[in-house]
Amino acid sequence: MDAFWTSRVMSDILGGLTNGVIYALVALSLVLIWRSTRILNFAQGAMAMLAAYVGFAVLAPSTNYWVSMAVAIVAGVVLGGLTERTVVRTLYGKPEINPVVAMVGFLLVLESVAAAIWSTTSRSLPTPFSIIDWQLAGRPVAMSPFALYEVITAIVVMVVVAVVFQFTSLGLQLRAAALNPEVSRLLGVRVTRMLTLGWMLASGVGAVTAVLVASNYFTGLTPTTMDGVFAFGFIAAAVGGLDSPVGALVAGVLLGVAFQFVGDYVNSNAIILVALGLLIVSLMVRPSGLFTRRTERRV
Amino acid sequence: MATRISAIAVALVAAVAAVAVGVPTAGLRLVLALIAALGVAAVAALTSARVRREHPVVARTLITVIVVAVALIGTARLNSNVDTDLSLGAAMTIVLLGLSFLTGSSGQISLGNGAFMGVGAFTVAIWANHHHSSPLILVLVLAVVAGAAVGFLLGLPATRLRGPYLAGMTLAFAVAFGAILNVFGSWTGGDSGLQLPNAENAPHWLTHLYPAGTASLSVNSVWLASLTVVAAGVALFFMANLFASRFGRSLRLVRDNDVAAELVGISLPRARVTAFVISAAYAALGGGLWTIVNNAVTPSTYGFALSVTILSLVVIGGIGTIPGAIIGGLIYAFSNSAIGWITAHTGLSPQGNVASQLNGIIFGALLVLTIVFAPLGISGAIRRLWARRSW
Repeated sequence: MDAFWTSRVMSDILGGLTNGVIYALVALSLVLIWRSTRILNFAQGAMAMLAAYVGFAVLAPSTNYWVSMAVAIVAGVVLGGLTERTVVRTLYGKPEINPVVAMVGFLLVLESVAAAIWSTTSRSLPTPFSIIDWQLAGRPVAMSPFALYEVITAIVVMVVVAVVFQFTSLGLQLRAAALNPEVSRLLGVRVTRMLTLGWMLASGVGAVTAVLVASNYFTGLTPTTMDGVFAFGFIAAAVGGLDSPVGALVAGVLLGVAFQFVGDYVNSNAIILVALGLLIVSLMVRPSGLFTRRTERRV
Repeated sequence: MATRISAIAVALVAAVAAVAVGVPTAGLRLVLALIAALGVAAVAALTSARVRREHPVVARTLITVIVVAVALIGTARLNSNVDTDLSLGAAMTIVLLGLSFLTGSSGQISLGNGAFMGVGAFTVAIWANHHHSSPLILVLVLAVVAGAAVGFLLGLPATRLRGPYLAGMTLAFAVAFGAILNVFGSWTGGDSGLQLPNAENAPHWLTHLYPAGTASLSVNSVWLASLTVVAAGVALFFMANLFASRFGRSLRLVRDNDVAAELVGISLPRARVTAFVISAAYAALGGGLWTIVNNAVTPSTYGFALSVTILSLVVIGGIGTIPGAIIGGLIYAFSNSAIGWITAHTGLSPQGNVASQLNGIIFGALLVLTIVFAPLGISGAIRRLWARRSW
């Protein structure tokens, strides 16, 4: 049994899982915003990065990890709300490239501002748990206490989001506002407030993601930490379907594991090539994602 | 009549400018100035509203020629630094034309044109390292072909995609480009990139025309600037005709109403992919020229940031229009000097964090503000003012 847990295949699965939950969280954050406002938030990664900086750079390095994490989440939620109220609100009902351009511009502003304040030098974050892998019979298992914490945190975030959406009155209003804004408004749902809340929620999820990414990856926290993660998260969301939270989560985890195998058996630079190829094929076969019902537009 | 008068005024200004800038040799300066004045006057008269209406291709040719001629006279008189900026800006104009065409005609957007530039840039560098002394035009054609091929591969999903999916996919390509280059590290030189074996030097006839150059201007930088300006002129001419062509018009129908386009027999997949391929090919041409101007290529130049810069320039200039692309190219050419000026006059430390990020902050903010308050950019604003004029 020990040999099984430390085998190359199992290591790839475990390592892939820890990356996969991160992609799944980014994808979830994108899907939440896409479903409620039909905007693909290209600044998602940058907003999350800024929240992580607020949590971990503004406070002194000696501060408690959990306090910093909480501050980062609050910063993410506030930033999400502000963004929706100021930038995003002007974009509803505009041609579909306008939000893309605006969010890319916002991404550039956030990354530049973060670099202007905190420089582009990488900053390593404290970790609440050891990042040394557990050992079995003298061989490492590809899972450390910190990685386990990461996976559990991701699952907690997903469960919280699911509970909010499925079992609370707020969640019902959020879903109604996304599904049919006009009718919801007639039924007394404050749609604009729901849109803001949707952005705050997604941005809070993003903040958790950024903190996990910055403390786990050897890159640490830099203004562009989230660029690559965002690309993978988008690929997961697109493969799973931008309309399907479950699809985004499943695709994120599966892609994480698949990429780990590619990186291990082929070459780590090949991962992104495989990811791009997968994205292209999946978009050609099922443009609206593997987990969504098709809505065909034809003459 | 009013247009005629303004045309003559433009001719006079241009003639005076030509005499003022001219070339170092006095006799040649006079002759060239006269030719320029006559040419400009003829062009200005010919591009009046009637000619534009009845012979659009003639008008477009003349406009292209005048723009290129003015730029060429300019490059011979400025200094080397400005000429290098102009070369990079002219190459950037080509890239912007491509993106402007993609968006203006088919309504799609690409966040990967910086990486497509990289495809062209590396094609030129790799070819030059394996085949010394190839004709320049061949190398540039190869860059265009390579860009078109990669554009075709990535454009395939564009046949079925709507909305921001394509933007996201091109973003993934832009972010991945560095890693892709590393996969082919033995060709691309990995992280350090490639150096060209020999620099692109001015040909003999030009060396004779400007025998010694001046203290601040070498013949080579004049040559490189002229080269890119002419290339931009050719690209501009093709693009102007493409916008007005049957294909360009059918693409605009695809953008405005894809169902109607399909009803009148336009193949949506083919139209969308073609637009995407053309934009990638233009980007690759611009990137190839950059390699020639810089005499080297590094992967870090062609990161995601470049794609974002390209998008900013095209949106600020005016997306979907040719003047917008030219304005964007000019902004690019002089943005570094302008930001240097701002840094110097606000007392920021030039090596400091804020100064080094000023570019991104300004372009990002302008990008958001433009799309929110003036989605048609500078060229759209100018056009609106022009339409409101009282004369």
